[in-house]
Amino acid sequence: MANIEHHADAHGDDHGEDHHGISHVASMKVLLGTGSTLLMLTLVTVGATRVDFGANINLAIAMAIAVLKATLVILFFMHLKYDRLFHTVIFVSAICAASLFIGFTLMDSSQYQQSNIWNPAAPPATPYGPRPVNG
Amino acid sequence: MSAPHDPHDGHDAHDAHDAHGGHHGSRFIQHHYDDAQHQFDSGKLGIWIFLAQEVLFFSALFVAYVLYRVHHPEIYSYAHKYLQVKFGAINTGVLIFSSLTAAWAVRCAQLSQKTGLMACLAITILCACGFLGIKYKEYSHKIHEHILFGRYFDPCVSSGGEELLTKGNECEASKSNIVYDKAAGKATSGCLAIKKIDQDPKAEGVQATCEVKEVHGGTASPIAHMCPAHVFSDSPGMTDEPEAKAKAEKTEPKEEFPCWEPAYQPAVCKDTEVGILVLYGPDDHQERGEDYKIDATCKDAPAVPAAADPYTNQAGQAMQVGKPAIHRGHELTAHEIRELDEEHEIAGPPPAHTGMFFTIYFAMTGLHGIHVLVGIGVFTWLLYRSWRGDFTPDYFGPIDFAALYWHIVDLIWIFLFPLLYLIH
Repeated sequence: MANIEHHADAHGDDHGEDHHGISHVASMKVLLGTGSTLLMLTLVTVGATRVDFGANINLAIAMAIAVLKATLVILFFMHLKYDRLFHTVIFVSAICAASLFIGFTLMDSSQYQQSNIWNPAAPPATPYGPRPVNG
Repeated sequence: MSAPHDPHDGHDAHDAHDAHGGHHGSRFIQHHYDDAQHQFDSGKLGIWIFLAQEVLFFSALFVAYVLYRVHHPEIYSYAHKYLQVKFGAINTGVLIFSSLTAAWAVRCAQLSQKTGLMACLAITILCACGFLGIKYKEYSHKIHEHILFGRYFDPCVSSGGEELLTKGNECEASKSNIVYDKAAGKATSGCLAIKKIDQDPKAEGVQATCEVKEVHGGTASPIAHMCPAHVFSDSPGMTDEPEAKAKAEKTEPKEEFPCWEPAYQPAVCKDTEVGILVLYGPDDHQERGEDYKIDATCKDAPAVPAAADPYTNQAGQAMQVGKPAIHRGHELTAHEIRELDEEHEIAGPPPAHTGMFFTIYFAMTGLHGIHVLVGIGVFTWLLYRSWRGDFTPDYFGPIDFAALYWHIVDLIWIFLFPLLYLIH
């Protein structure tokens, strides 16, 4: 079996957390600390909405807090901090792919028509001369 | 590898393989793995690939959200007011707490703490059910008030276009009743149509429509706080149409409108609240709906005990025939008023295609809700298995993987909450 050395390789990491059997065991301190921080950040994000910093800054604050919360969940609840690098690679590539998806869709969004509801009484103006007649 | 065993041929095969595979312990270690570690790592890789797929899966909806928000910010800043931050925030807390218990369950499984494992799983399941319970409350409220997706977005709205505050009130004729004049910047006709109102001699068999041209708020903001439909008056002088019209037209904007006749006034408006009048009249609302212009200032609504309202029946039941509708004489508590204020900020008439926000809202929260449902199923199964004693320190993969799935569900919600509920 090629994977016979596998055990030692995967868990040769240098973290000092208590380590048990085949996977890292999260300490209660980390779990409870993460949980309470997440709850606190939820209160903060609700509170921040009530203050008017301007729509964009409010959105930026809300998103920054959401990203921070997500990072905490990923690192500690999902053990990614203590897990294999390869799992991080998988997850981060998914997030990159999603960002590309959103980013590329937004790139040409100004090209879209405001409304595609066809109104036969008032057809939209054609920018390049009259609409070709069928037949 | 070329194992001589059929993968499904039971424990005997495992044992036989175990003997030379070198692992010991859980009978759930499949024979095609070297050892418990190998099986765990394979499963973990699988679940991470699945989670990556989940991110991509949801990203399509986030694209829809972002694209639509970029194009129609006005819809988002309007429509989110139909969502109640309170519920979203509670659900966020519930989900975070359940994420904590899920992570804790993994720890318990790793340390062979069977009771702790079962308790954590049970709490996780309860939280998930609580989450869905709150979602149920939100959804049913929206269904009831027609705050739905696409063209089914047709909530009860009043002349300003704001949501009609329908506590126990069924809005019979809804948005279709509103004519909003874009040039004038306000609604030109309609506020709320009241179908037949029983026990009102003047309104017997009558459909009444009124229109409020302008309401001068008692509050500092230009927002006209609508009292719920409990507030209306049918001052005797107003029922005869020409008179009523004349009187209404004569009324100066700032003048106290004689709407608070104690005999008819349910007085649900608190000092700073402004009531909106609904006039009753003959069944000719089609004609007159256009003409009624009422400037109502009801700053100092006299507090009239509910009992003085002749239209409150003994049981305090709804007065409207057909629909369990308008409760008259119901005095709102300060708490209720505050609640209504918070939940129903008046935002003017709905922008075009507002329903699209709710299409996105229902798609995102619905898909998320399905994930929660699946999570409940998985955790229930795991609760059973942990009761059966399946999990040992060298076999707890299923708990770990389900917890990872649960964290991603939490993660999605962490983004959905500010994006849907906390739009500024």
